[in-house]
Amino acid sequence: MAQTDFEVIRQVLAGDTEAFETLVRRYQQPIFRLTYRMTRNLEDARDLAQEAFVQAYRSLGNFQQRASFSTWLYRIAMNVSLNRLKAAGHESPEEVDAQVPDGQADALARVLQDERDRAVAVAIADLPPQQQATLTLRVHHGLSHREIAEVLGCAEGTAKANYFHAVRALQHKLGAFRDTRGGD
Amino acid sequence: MIDRCDEIREELIGYAEGDLAPARHHQVAAHLGRCAACAREAERLAEVLERTRALPAPEMTEAFWADFGATVRQRISREAPPRAPVFQRVGAWRDRLAWLRLMPALGAAVAAGVLLAFGVARIPRVPPSPPSAESVAVGESLAIAQHLDILEHLDELEYLDLLEHLTVLRAPELGRLPAGS
Repeated sequence: MAQTDFEVIRQVLAGDTEAFETLVRRYQQPIFRLTYRMTRNLEDARDLAQEAFVQAYRSLGNFQQRASFSTWLYRIAMNVSLNRLKAAGHESPEEVDAQVPDGQADALARVLQDERDRAVAVAIADLPPQQQATLTLRVHHGLSHREIAEVLGCAEGTAKANYFHAVRALQHKLGAFRDTRGGD
Repeated sequence: MIDRCDEIREELIGYAEGDLAPARHHQVAAHLGRCAACAREAERLAEVLERTRALPAPEMTEAFWADFGATVRQRISREAPPRAPVFQRVGAWRDRLAWLRLMPALGAAVAAGVLLAFGVARIPRVPPSPPSAESVAVGESLAIAQHLDILEHLDELEYLDLLEHLTVLRAPELGRLPAGS
């Protein structure tokens, strides 16, 4: 049976520092996806995700085990991402990476999909950081409002309100996009 | 029952995500069945959420993850190993040596055993009951009697009174006085 996060952490704190790799392998993909969705840039996402793990390692002795390790790690990753957005002045990315889904034979459909994805990505990137964070954690990582509040260090009501504002803002932006294209 | 459009629209995100209580979900659904404007709004919201959800995340290669892990490993090798706070380490030691909690009981048991063994060894023997006056007399008389010439001349029974008083003759282990004495 696989070790629990808490068991691995106890091992690391007991001196088996290589055991931390278990946690890295276990969470590298969701953490990378999180930092990617916040930055929309592969290189930045990789650097921020690695930084999140290093900070988690450094602070492992302070992990209280009151929340899950994943929530705690998400919090670290979100903090490094928000700090990066803040340092970058929260400018909308000029070039937004929008991966093209595989398997689409229709080139026109692929272009349209690209364009729609890009519109969504730009609209999300244009949101205030807290709304962007809330939206990403809820829609892409399936966190509850309570878990989002733990990650962002705010009240649950605040997390919920941020999410609702984010969705409404997105709806407004994408509605405007649809209107300029003549509707779908 | 809350059925105003502005109140219903506050619930549409929760409705789209299936987050409402069942009774409330039915109320909203019933309203959307009657109100075209709210139904259109619900449809747009659902579309926004669906398109947001569908936004693809990059699928990275094995080589990428190998490099990712190697970089993290390299960076943390330069860090001091993390340690739990002192109070947690003390707690951990206490947990690991949990058997020590039995020490007081064990100690008490061992001490009791030692005391018991010591006590048994030291319990004085029941002193013999003090000899009866008669026994003392017999003993003393025997000692004396060994040196009495009279015993060699028991044939000369003129001194029967003396003989009667010789308790040695009355001691059971030496036999009773002859009848008539």
